[in-house]
Amino acid sequence: MSTDSKDEILKSHSRRLFLQRTALFSGMIALGGGSYLFNPRGAWAADPIKVGFALDLTGPISVQGLPCANVAKMLVEDINAKGGVLGRPLQMFLEDTATNETLAVTRVSKLVQKDDVDVVIGGITSSMRNAIKDTIVNRGKKLYLYPQLYEGKECTANIFCTGPTPAQQCDTFVPWLMKNTGKKFYFTGADYIWPHTLNAYAKNVVEKNGGEVVGEEYSPVDQVEYGATVHKIMANNTDVVFTTLIPPGLPVFVKQLYEAGFMKRGGRVASVLYDESTMSISSPAETEGLASCLDYFRAVEDSFSKQLFEKYTSLFGTKNPLSAAGGSTGTYRAVKLWEVAAKEAGSVARDAVATALDHAKIAEGPGGGAEIVSGTRHVRMNMYTAVAKGGKFDIVDKSNGPVAPGECLRS
Amino acid sequence: MRGLDNKLARDIVSTYRMMFYMPNRDETGKLGTADLAPFLFDITASMAIFVLAVLGLGVIASMMGIFNFAHGEFLLLGAYTVYLAQDHGVPTWLGMLAAPFVVAIIALALERTIIRRFYAAPVAAMISTFAIGLVLRESVRLLLGGQFYSVEAPLNGAFFIGDVALSKWRVVIILATIAVVTASYLALARTRLGLYVRASLENPALARASAIPTRRIYAATFAFGAALAGLAGGLMVPIYSLNADIGVPFLIKSFLAVMVGGVGSFGGSVLGASFVGAGTAGLPWAIKPVVADVLLFLVAILFVKYRPTGLLSLWRK
Amino acid sequence: MAPAASGLKADRQALPWIEGTLFAVFLLMPLALEHFWVLFVTRILILGLLALSFDLVWGYVGILSFGQALLFGGAGYCAALLATKLGITSVLVLLPSAVLAGLLISFVIAAIVLFGKRSPTAVFVALGTLTGSYVVERLLRGWSYVGGQNGIPSLPRLTIGALEIEEGIRFYYLAFGLLVVIYLGLRWIVRSQFGLVLAGIREQEERLAFLGYQTQNYKGIVFCLAGMVAGLSGGLYAFHEGFVGPAQLGPVFSTQVALYSMFGGAGTLIGAVIGTSFIEAVGYNVSQYWETGWPILLGLLLLAIVSYRPGGLISLLVSEREKIGTFGGKAAATVSELTERFHEHA
Repeated sequence: MSTDSKDEILKSHSRRLFLQRTALFSGMIALGGGSYLFNPRGAWAADPIKVGFALDLTGPISVQGLPCANVAKMLVEDINAKGGVLGRPLQMFLEDTATNETLAVTRVSKLVQKDDVDVVIGGITSSMRNAIKDTIVNRGKKLYLYPQLYEGKECTANIFCTGPTPAQQCDTFVPWLMKNTGKKFYFTGADYIWPHTLNAYAKNVVEKNGGEVVGEEYSPVDQVEYGATVHKIMANNTDVVFTTLIPPGLPVFVKQLYEAGFMKRGGRVASVLYDESTMSISSPAETEGLASCLDYFRAVEDSFSKQLFEKYTSLFGTKNPLSAAGGSTGTYRAVKLWEVAAKEAGSVARDAVATALDHAKIAEGPGGGAEIVSGTRHVRMNMYTAVAKGGKFDIVDKSNGPVAPGECLRS
Repeated sequence: MRGLDNKLARDIVSTYRMMFYMPNRDETGKLGTADLAPFLFDITASMAIFVLAVLGLGVIASMMGIFNFAHGEFLLLGAYTVYLAQDHGVPTWLGMLAAPFVVAIIALALERTIIRRFYAAPVAAMISTFAIGLVLRESVRLLLGGQFYSVEAPLNGAFFIGDVALSKWRVVIILATIAVVTASYLALARTRLGLYVRASLENPALARASAIPTRRIYAATFAFGAALAGLAGGLMVPIYSLNADIGVPFLIKSFLAVMVGGVGSFGGSVLGASFVGAGTAGLPWAIKPVVADVLLFLVAILFVKYRPTGLLSLWRK
Repeated sequence: MAPAASGLKADRQALPWIEGTLFAVFLLMPLALEHFWVLFVTRILILGLLALSFDLVWGYVGILSFGQALLFGGAGYCAALLATKLGITSVLVLLPSAVLAGLLISFVIAAIVLFGKRSPTAVFVALGTLTGSYVVERLLRGWSYVGGQNGIPSLPRLTIGALEIEEGIRFYYLAFGLLVVIYLGLRWIVRSQFGLVLAGIREQEERLAFLGYQTQNYKGIVFCLAGMVAGLSGGLYAFHEGFVGPAQLGPVFSTQVALYSMFGGAGTLIGAVIGTSFIEAVGYNVSQYWETGWPILLGLLLLAIVSYRPGGLISLLVSEREKIGTFGGKAAATVSELTERFHEHA
């Protein structure tokens, strides 16, 4: 590096920055105000089907939003290359929700009112989903697929959730944690609905299995000072810190825990938000031993997953990798399940597709296939527990076949 | 070293007060000395960060009567300089050394072209610094692609004194702050330049008549205040991840600090910043962090309303 | 006493022409626009109302309030809570309650920030309100009763009896009607004798105080009036978007509003509406070509305006004298005549 001339260094820097967004945006038209359009290539006999994506391309959640957008684009191109859906190509409308709920509502209303898309996929944080779902489903009367892991209890009609639920993330994960680390759990989280609900579920599992909850704390989303919390954790002889904090607080919290010596004395951090992508926000030393439970890790063995990952990386590079905690695997499932349902229904009308989606199934996907559990609008899928080692994840436990989501059982 | 003595005294007094309001811990019994050390360290580190961050603002406000709305963005620029260094393979500590100079140069350019026009109209000056802040913030957002980045501290990990962990980098920040505050105080009190600065502050017309180049002093002061902000931003960026909006909370907290400490004296800025820093780190030990924010804000407002005259020339007519 | 400069000779009143044209355009616009754009312009009208409230306090009384969003968002939240927790959807209840909320909140803010032994400087007010905006936003983010980070989504539509006011043409004319009524009302106030006192406060507060006027009370009244306008705007916005969130109370919104007004031209009322329209419309179009650069451009434009044209966009068309106005009397031939008349009334 030191032999490069200054010009080259500058060029490569701006090129790198340019590339990570260029791969996504190449071929797309910027429509202004955070909107992007990706038109199908080639000549088609029929009108395109408009598919809308509402994802965070900027702001703190962009690290999760960009891979989702990448997957979306990859799949849309793929589907179009194979003949589209019902003989029609897919036209991709992408809106940047910018981690700003107020802005997102305006932009999503543009998707459903002005662009008149046939389906909307997106919303990453639960607060984003809650902000935009009414605009999509009630005012816009469109189908909405939500791809991200979340706290459950989303049983609104015409909303399908393709990400892991608390049952899928905690039922086997928590016992594993208790068996492999200890019984004293300290819960931390950001102060909004997902952390509260997921933590509550996990606490239940802890207590049912004979563990002990020694503390629970919630902080504002943008808090970057955790000295007091870390101190309480250490003082209470905690074995496992189960955290549902999100960036920007999450890496700071983990760092402060590490600096206080928590990991050194045998404690373990459990965060279902950590995947290969999130790893980049912390240094490998800080995440050594950290455990997570998701529907996909790069270390997963099956060949389809490996091929998918390779294809994604060849298109988009390594900066924002395909990973499960950010919703990109959920986006895969959402797009593919919708495709299957639309083909079965023979139309893109909301009710027809929703009926077909009710039992839609894909045989292959990252981490394995997936199937919607009839009547619940949630997905059954494989779950993996993994531990971080040297900045990479090693899988330590795999579910026995697809795990039921356990949501909306009486709807 | 009068400045140092006062800081130590303040540490002791504020800690003593804080101790009285600490809650009992039901699980592990009363708080003992084991808890005192980490608590003290947390508070001191936070005070140091805020003093470093606010000093620049206080200096500019005292000197020129202009509340620099772009202060948070000067912090941001310092942080961004360090990030650029890391991105190009330059060691981060070099970036941190460079940050104050980079920001000072930018500030100087801004002062000569824009801010200089508004010395007679503080409100227009404020609006112009607000616009400058907007431009700087959005430019950095453009360069960062709207994303969050983390910067590694040159020194990672912690010193262990018995059971107590002291984050190495925070220790560095505390030492740096002490050094900077002492150096600034000495420069102001003991050097000729400091004399000129104090003269220009007290009586600009007389200073000009005494052949003190007040225009240059103003420019130098603005650059100095900005340099302090840049240094603060550069030192802080390993602790907080870098993104275009990190300046905003610091602007707000700086305002609180200046409200409490008053404008027009060096010690006032340090005092106010220490108060805010201690509150930000200390209050969450006893109450919810959001409530801590509100409390600080209310206390600051009360201070301004009921504090007697003298140090508040900027806030009351 | 000959007329001083050539500009004063031409007694052409530009302001009413501008106002009339703008409102005529707004009146007829929906007939030519598709649905999405009707929504877009409705939003401009509502935000224009908010910008009016900012202009009222800054342009007419010199209070640089970076916290108008507190009133805007606060009223939005109150109306949203009434709608979701109590099931009220009637526009005749919700909008007045938004106004009331705006009044109450502005009263509290005025009590804390404006009143006191000695009146605060513009800098203090600006920063105090900005900080307040920041702190309240964070507070609401953590308060689960009002939805925390999520805010309150899925708001029902406003109703008059059985008729739903859905977004689109109906809501557009509701917002437009309210904007016109309030605009005319405010215009009448600032041109009246009351407005004369305000002008005095703006120009030389101390002198006016010496003449026996309780300037703080006047400022408080105007601030609360602006608070009501901002509250109404907040209520409209909440139901138009169908959603309230903590960001609607925060510093981003607050400073955005200040931008709208300063851009268009402070102290002219119509300048606020022009500024809002300009920034929103141009912003949407410019960001097609330079997406992330628009805010930078906006900052640069603001800088240019503050440096070279502090009167804002409208000063390109309206003279300074016309901006000051006549306060219910004959038109003045020169600025000095106007000042003399001011002394008479005092």
